[in-house]
Amino acid sequence: MKKGLVILLTLALIVGCLAAFTACSGEDYDLVVGAIYIGGKDETSGYTAAHANGIKKAIANLEKEGYKVKLEVVDKVDDTDYNAVAAACDTLVAKGSDIIFGISFGYLHAMNDKAAEYKDVLFSHATGYLSNDTNYNNYFGRIYQARYLSGIAAGLKSIELESDSIGYVAAWTTEYAETTSGINAFALGVQSVNPDATVYVKSIKSWGDTAKEQQAAQYLIDTYNCTVIAQHCDSAQPQIVAQENDVYGCGYNTDMTSDAPKAHLTAPIWNWHVYYQFAMEEALKDPATFVDAVGNYLGGLKEGFVDISPLSENCAPNTAKMIELARKEMVDGNWDVFHSAKLSFEAIQGEIAIKITPADLGTLYTPDPEKEDADPNPYVCKVEDDQVTKTPDYVITGTMNTFVAGVTDVDKM
Amino acid sequence: MSSKKLVSPIRIVKRDVQNKWLLAALYGGGILLAFLLGAVLLSLLKVNPFEYYGDMFTIGMIGNRYFTKSLENWIIIFVPLVITSLALSMAFKMKFWNIGGKGQFIIGSIVASAIALTMKPNTSPFVLIALMTICGGLSAGIYGMITAILKVRFGTNETLLTLMFNYIALNLLFYFGETQGAWNIFLSKESVRPLLAKFPENAWMTTIKLGDFNLNVSLILALVFAAFMWFYLAKTKQGYEISVVGDSISTAKYAGMKVNKIIVRTMFLSAMFIGIAGAFNVSTSHTLTSSMAYGDEGWTGIVVVWLAKLNPFAVVIISILLSWLRYGCVVAASSYTTVNSYFADMLQGIILFIVLAVDFFIKYKVVFTKRENAVKEKN
Repeated sequence: MKKGLVILLTLALIVGCLAAFTACSGEDYDLVVGAIYIGGKDETSGYTAAHANGIKKAIANLEKEGYKVKLEVVDKVDDTDYNAVAAACDTLVAKGSDIIFGISFGYLHAMNDKAAEYKDVLFSHATGYLSNDTNYNNYFGRIYQARYLSGIAAGLKSIELESDSIGYVAAWTTEYAETTSGINAFALGVQSVNPDATVYVKSIKSWGDTAKEQQAAQYLIDTYNCTVIAQHCDSAQPQIVAQENDVYGCGYNTDMTSDAPKAHLTAPIWNWHVYYQFAMEEALKDPATFVDAVGNYLGGLKEGFVDISPLSENCAPNTAKMIELARKEMVDGNWDVFHSAKLSFEAIQGEIAIKITPADLGTLYTPDPEKEDADPNPYVCKVEDDQVTKTPDYVITGTMNTFVAGVTDVDKM
Repeated sequence: MSSKKLVSPIRIVKRDVQNKWLLAALYGGGILLAFLLGAVLLSLLKVNPFEYYGDMFTIGMIGNRYFTKSLENWIIIFVPLVITSLALSMAFKMKFWNIGGKGQFIIGSIVASAIALTMKPNTSPFVLIALMTICGGLSAGIYGMITAILKVRFGTNETLLTLMFNYIALNLLFYFGETQGAWNIFLSKESVRPLLAKFPENAWMTTIKLGDFNLNVSLILALVFAAFMWFYLAKTKQGYEISVVGDSISTAKYAGMKVNKIIVRTMFLSAMFIGIAGAFNVSTSHTLTSSMAYGDEGWTGIVVVWLAKLNPFAVVIISILLSWLRYGCVVAASSYTTVNSYFADMLQGIILFIVLAVDFFIKYKVVFTKRENAVKEKN
């Protein structure tokens, strides 16, 4: 009986091998792309999936142009494990990668060291702050611009519902500039149409936790009568809770209209493939000029790197028009969310028009006395000599830690 | 009729296979069978098993510009596994079930990191690494010794206690890794988000340059340690005491041995060496990592010791094979969209399971008793 089993397995093996022998080895590629993922490469939703799909889409686009591109992936690399990240870089270099993307923040040191070691390979790191002049850059996006637009949709909905309470389920609050700037941008978007609105922020102290996301959304609805629930966390739970309570919401990361068709308005989303395709094209052109050409990439609405998902039928009238006008100001570079100026809308002869008024946003960065090495000077966004000032980018990418007026952290009341 | 007892139709009977060639053939056949099963699975995923295994067995060194890197990365996985396994075999020989390898490893790592991050940057690397090793080892030794003292004083169960001690160490590690504050020396000062700090260069494990290959000194130390462990267990009085206590505590007492002292001392040494493995590991990594909480030196080490039957040389061989398999699987998986790194774990699981099954069937045979015989036996 044992013999029979062995023979059967051997046969299965041979048949399997023959079936698997399709043309795949010994080919020359124009570009070998390496990627290090924090999640599994076959996940279907969430952060890793968003990046994996972006890379796949970018490769597919390049292949349409006639390039031969190969993808090598090391997945489930813990972002606190220096060794694992370093080994993943080694593996991908060993497999002939020309450019290596790392998607998680904690990869930054290992990638920095490996970039110094492998000077003939490009390294590109998402969400970090390290880079060099020759073969290492970082990339992230101005998702706050998309959040501002979703804020307009939320504000208009609140007016339609005759409410001034809007809820926001946040992963973190002022601990991270990423969350602070997102909350501020959303609130400013809301205020552009409903200046009396308050955004109630409930933090779940985790980047993703479905149970806490659900509880936080329910709490905001029950306690503050929030009529629109926005979010900066991974799952669609806040939107589902909004639907259960007959209120509305703005999701994040992906179009959550399918998760909560009766509640969802629009969601700020990432189009990672925009960067990946750009980076791959530059790598194909000339690796020597890659860092000069791409730099530390911070794409926004203009590049199409961030956007909002298509407006659902739940949106209030005129939402599309107003968002379009605000988007145009940002894309054209006339105005940005953290300039010392506010947008407002007015009807002129039945046509909606946009107006930019100089305005102080107040303090956006407050030094933390507990952090010895923190910048001791607060940053205040204000109008100087009737001129609109631009908030420096470092506030958005690293240090913004103070809410604008109209935002209430419910845990600090 | 009512008094008729059911006799199990299957009985497990002990047997003794002595022929070494037969044993080797059986274990070899088991491993081969595991790889065949893996190949079938790979084929189902539309992956060519020959290519996959080729990549795996060579850990991606063929056709690789930087093939020495693969070897260096394998050494990083191998060294902590082999030291931990050797240290565990010490406790296991005494039949003291130290399940706390992971916790002791983490404590050694944390203390070694604290030394690395607080000493003056101009300390000589030799002094600093020696200090990290000594302090990491001592702290882990004391951490492990607590469980031994509780056992000999209050008769606590060491399996449970060492297991629970893992979680204390683990949460300590998470705490240091995630809590920002001026006091927290473990976190990087530059990063806005919590990020474990990188060691200054003088705390990096020494490597010897052999052409392109950087030989990690901890590999040499690990192999010296293996020889030492063999000598200690087989040739010294203390080693003999360990095996007597393991065989029978009454015999040991009758022979006038101070059993409690032996248990506490052995557990201290076992945990200490695991802590040293942790110190080596952080020194090689240049940083403390909170993912070591999910690392499995402590667990895989138990399997290694079990398969090696406490023989130090077998521990080395099996550690080589298991770490090679683990690293090779990750390397091979990177080229295929359908194979993720779970496959490596699965293949490893299949191999371990089949080898343990072979091990079982070598020691025991299953006898099917016919019903009439069973009745006859009863009568």
